Amino acid sequence: MNNESIFKTFGVATGVCVVCAIIVSFSSVALKGLQDQNKLLDKQVNVLKAAGLVKADEKPTKAQADEMFKSAEIVVVDLATGAVVADADPNKVESDKTNVVALTPEQDVAKIKTAPKQAVVYRFNEENGALKTLVLPICGTGLWSRMNGFLSLNADLTTVAGLVFYEHGETPGLGGEISNPKWTEKWNGKTAVDETGAPIVKVVKGTANDAATEVDGISGATLTCNGVNGTIEFWLGPNGYGPYLKTLRGDAPATEAEAPAETSEATEASEN
Amino acid sequence: MKFVRKALDATEKRFFAPGKPFAFLYPLYDAADTFFFTPNAKTSGTCAVRDCVDFKRMMITVVLALLPCALMGMYNVGLQANRLMEAGATAPTDWHGAILNWINGFYPAIFEPSSVIGCFLYGLVYFLPIYIVTMIVGLGWEILFAAINKHEVNEGFFVTGFLFPLIVPATIPLWQVALAISFGVVIGKEIFGGTGRNFMNPALVARAFLFFAYAGQISGDKVWTAVDGVSKATPLSFATQGVDALSAQYSMSSAFFGTIPGSLGETSTLACLIGAAILLLTGVASWRIMASMFVGGMGLAAIFASCPSITEAFPAATLGPQWHFVLGGFAFGMVFMATDPVTAAATKVGQYIYGFLIGALIIVVRAMNPAYPEGAMLVILFGNCVAPLIDYMVVNANIRRRVKRLEAR
Amino acid sequence: MNSAVKENIVQPLFKNNPVFVQLLGICSALAVTTNLNNAFTMTLAVVFVTAFSNVGVSLIRKIIPGSIRMIVEMAIIATLVILVDQILKAFSYNLSKQLSVYVGLIITNCIVMGRAEAFAIKNGPTVSLLDGIGNGLGYGVVLMIVAFFRELFGFGTLFGFTVLKTVNNGGWYVPNGLMVLAPAAFFLIGAMIWVLKTYGKGMQDDE
Repeated sequence: MNNESIFKTFGVATGVCVVCAIIVSFSSVALKGLQDQNKLLDKQVNVLKAAGLVKADEKPTKAQADEMFKSAEIVVVDLATGAVVADADPNKVESDKTNVVALTPEQDVAKIKTAPKQAVVYRFNEENGALKTLVLPICGTGLWSRMNGFLSLNADLTTVAGLVFYEHGETPGLGGEISNPKWTEKWNGKTAVDETGAPIVKVVKGTANDAATEVDGISGATLTCNGVNGTIEFWLGPNGYGPYLKTLRGDAPATEAEAPAETSEATEASEN
Repeated sequence: MKFVRKALDATEKRFFAPGKPFAFLYPLYDAADTFFFTPNAKTSGTCAVRDCVDFKRMMITVVLALLPCALMGMYNVGLQANRLMEAGATAPTDWHGAILNWINGFYPAIFEPSSVIGCFLYGLVYFLPIYIVTMIVGLGWEILFAAINKHEVNEGFFVTGFLFPLIVPATIPLWQVALAISFGVVIGKEIFGGTGRNFMNPALVARAFLFFAYAGQISGDKVWTAVDGVSKATPLSFATQGVDALSAQYSMSSAFFGTIPGSLGETSTLACLIGAAILLLTGVASWRIMASMFVGGMGLAAIFASCPSITEAFPAATLGPQWHFVLGGFAFGMVFMATDPVTAAATKVGQYIYGFLIGALIIVVRAMNPAYPEGAMLVILFGNCVAPLIDYMVVNANIRRRVKRLEAR
Repeated sequence: MNSAVKENIVQPLFKNNPVFVQLLGICSALAVTTNLNNAFTMTLAVVFVTAFSNVGVSLIRKIIPGSIRMIVEMAIIATLVILVDQILKAFSYNLSKQLSVYVGLIITNCIVMGRAEAFAIKNGPTVSLLDGIGNGLGYGVVLMIVAFFRELFGFGTLFGFTVLKTVNNGGWYVPNGLMVLAPAAFFLIGAMIWVLKTYGKGMQDDE
């Protein structure tokens, strides 16, 4: 038999392709559920870490994470107005390509060029429905590349409850220390914004002088720390969650009247 | 001298001659012997050039040229520290501090910023341990490799061992010095066959090792001054914020004379220029490399500074050529590092290209990469890597030109 | 059979190591050796891919037309690599996140293609399987050795457990940042080849 005939060449090629295609598609379809679940769990754990519900070295199972997430509301926020968007699907907001707004260089302190119009935030509530911790997704450019993380605020909406960077490309041992819990723990309890709502917390070079609003710098990683400062400043500022935080603060005395309505909207949204 | 000769011969017979207990350490004896006397071995090949400037004399010249930098550097370490202490900083509390206090017992001027000798002694307390560790560890490796490969220890290391302490911060921990110089000597030189066969400058390799391995400590703000707990950045890290931020902190003249924080021996441009004069007058270093590096660097710096679109995007580009020349390791690298005859380009045209490339690239790195405000070290290493390629191109171009000329006849 | 097993599995571990001796697969050895967990996962992945791509190629070696031989081999390898990637994502999400593109890049690992071309195309499935396992393990041994040094000196940990407590975590050890960067793997592999060529029995170059 001649291996080199055109017929045989096409035959073998087709055969190999079909077998390979079957294996690939089968594995991809069969494992998709597990993979998506992993992805979701990974995100949940990072949110929980930022909220301080999971310790840095803990690895909760899916069931545990779900349990802890029961007290969370997933809320879609319109960044410009600060209003909650009731009818938006949180699962689609982040992948929506039209959900971007370009930033001018003056606005862009986090060096991210574009910001989303709507963002997904996580509210962890007390049993009576009052806010306990608010977890805000943040991102900014460090020394080398994009850093993604979560910043969470306490119920007073001024002090930091936790900070987590779960994805970054900073130099290991230097800027990479931003994901070291030893460093991020230093953020806990710092006053993030002043009375007017303007962001004031920042990383300083060397040791912090003002225990309330300054965080010790990472030695040898000034530029990464500058990136972290820009990120925090942007997301707590007027182009980030500033308007939303303002709305929440304005609502604070009327929590009982407003909160239930908001809760039902949000629950609806999260159920979609 | 006769007495020295006799002593050397006696030790050779007792310990180092073939069959004696330390025969494997013959290179060590040989090194000592040739340090005092010109070797009387005759060249066995067909060609022998007799010249009183041999390898050893060349190296000694370089060491002499480095002396102004070292002296100025030590003085500056003391000056920086004493000035800070006058402003309220605490004296070092480690073993350096203990030695300083001991000297203070009988020579109080050591804590006096206005006393030249005091400041110099202060610096000496920091410089000498680094130098001793460098020499012991580095020479140890040299002797080890010489013994294994059965060749003589040569003087190349005296230059490397003097260069290296001058390009590190004064407060560097000694174990890092030992580790770095080991890396520099072994990876930078010995695995390629030792002095004369290394394609990269071992002192710079050692410095690059420190830069990457202990970046947090060596590029931080705390290392540059020899007092406790003071964060004082080098002028170059102010440079990343633009020329105004820099000149608010340091004056041009202090940068030129070298009374600014920085590596031990490279702060003083003046001392580097004295060294350059010695090297050029004796003909040890290539004036082509120095000149072209100067032209390349200063030219590009001038272009950058005068181009608004660049200075807007990169604040560090606002530094004109005058600043770039007096800051960081540019002058030191130009005089002592880029001109290293082993690792630089060897052809005349190649040397122009080589120097120009290094000078221009240093400015590019300084101006455009905020993570590496001091580009000189890495760029010279890069230059070392491409030097053989440059030579190859120059030689080939020459061959082609001659072939053409021959064909035209 | 016994001697064939031994030869095919043991030879590539040391005497005919794909990395040290054949100098293959160095590129990926740089990327995934920053810690032992990554290196171990990568080892398993590469053993799996080399073993089964060898079997696959060997099974159809008699009917592959010469003109599309390489492409068929590539298709088999790529399929296996995707399979590994999918499985990792499903069952070990954290590791797959850390290894990121490097799992996919097993495709470009010269060892896999090299063994398919050099061995599986000429030999039966059983020996090809052994050869694949042996070469995968040979590669893995190097990964593990390199990763051992890089993780220990770069982070002060082994398999994530603290051995030398680092300064940033309140200990005494100053981590060596160079070890974390890719060149460190070059230096380590270079040093290992140096030692083996000098002292390894029967490993010297012919002169």
